[in-house]
Amino acid sequence: MSNDTSRPGAEEKIIELRLPSKLGYERVAMDTASSLAKRMGFDNDRVESLKTAISEAVTNAIEHGNQQDAAMKVVVLLTARDDELIISVADQGRKQLDADCTTRNPHIEDAMVNADKGGWGIWLIRELMDEVEFTTAPSGGNQVRMVIHLEQ
Amino acid sequence: MMLEDELTVSVRERDGIAIIDLIGDVTTFAEEKINTAYRDVTNRGARFVLLNFRQNDYINSAGIAILIGIVTEVNRNNQKLAVSGLSQHFQKIFRMVGLAQYAEIYQDEEEAVQSFKTQAAAA
Repeated sequence: MSNDTSRPGAEEKIIELRLPSKLGYERVAMDTASSLAKRMGFDNDRVESLKTAISEAVTNAIEHGNQQDAAMKVVVLLTARDDELIISVADQGRKQLDADCTTRNPHIEDAMVNADKGGWGIWLIRELMDEVEFTTAPSGGNQVRMVIHLEQ
Repeated sequence: MMLEDELTVSVRERDGIAIIDLIGDVTTFAEEKINTAYRDVTNRGARFVLLNFRQNDYINSAGIAILIGIVTEVNRNNQKLAVSGLSQHFQKIFRMVGLAQYAEIYQDEEEAVQSFKTQAAAA
């Protein structure tokens, strides 16, 4: 953890994880985020929401962005502020995320008739987190920034 | 490191209800095990199917897609599906996604079995 002293009065702690692009490693990000969020004082319901959101973001980065090439890294940044936790998940962008899949609202009735029953991950992230933003990193990778507010 | 396949699926029968116990994570690695268990109970003529989860499982969107596959089959085969043992968080997720419209959610196996027995008696 490093302290950011540039914001007077506000302590900022940053944790960085570099994960291999192999399914299963999203659990390391979930466990880390869960441990941090509990220490920050988030209640159990919010911690569970955070775990689901981060697992979906990291799984997308592994499967889609980095195409499960274990040599490619998924970088997770957890920034703990006094009143919020910011989670950024970035891949190396072997494949770009379609813009429309970041705004789609899936329906179970459609999923039941379609061969593809998936597409719930990004929607879940949007539903469960307080702020969500999808961007392309300068390096060309996909990046998602999620914020969860600590209600006092 | 055990990061992948952490799901144990087993099938049993209780009071005419096919119970599929899911102990562990429901992710992309679960697909074959869950589908095999469902096909197994269906081939044996199950009318009432209970997916019995252990609390605090990790269920992700790939797991949700597998479960949507199951509710699709359940509808097609005119069976009744219920789920039990889900944590509060995953009960919420099941409602958000709409799975709760197709599978009754019960706190535990006992509650689900009693409800199925009442439904079977009324049928």
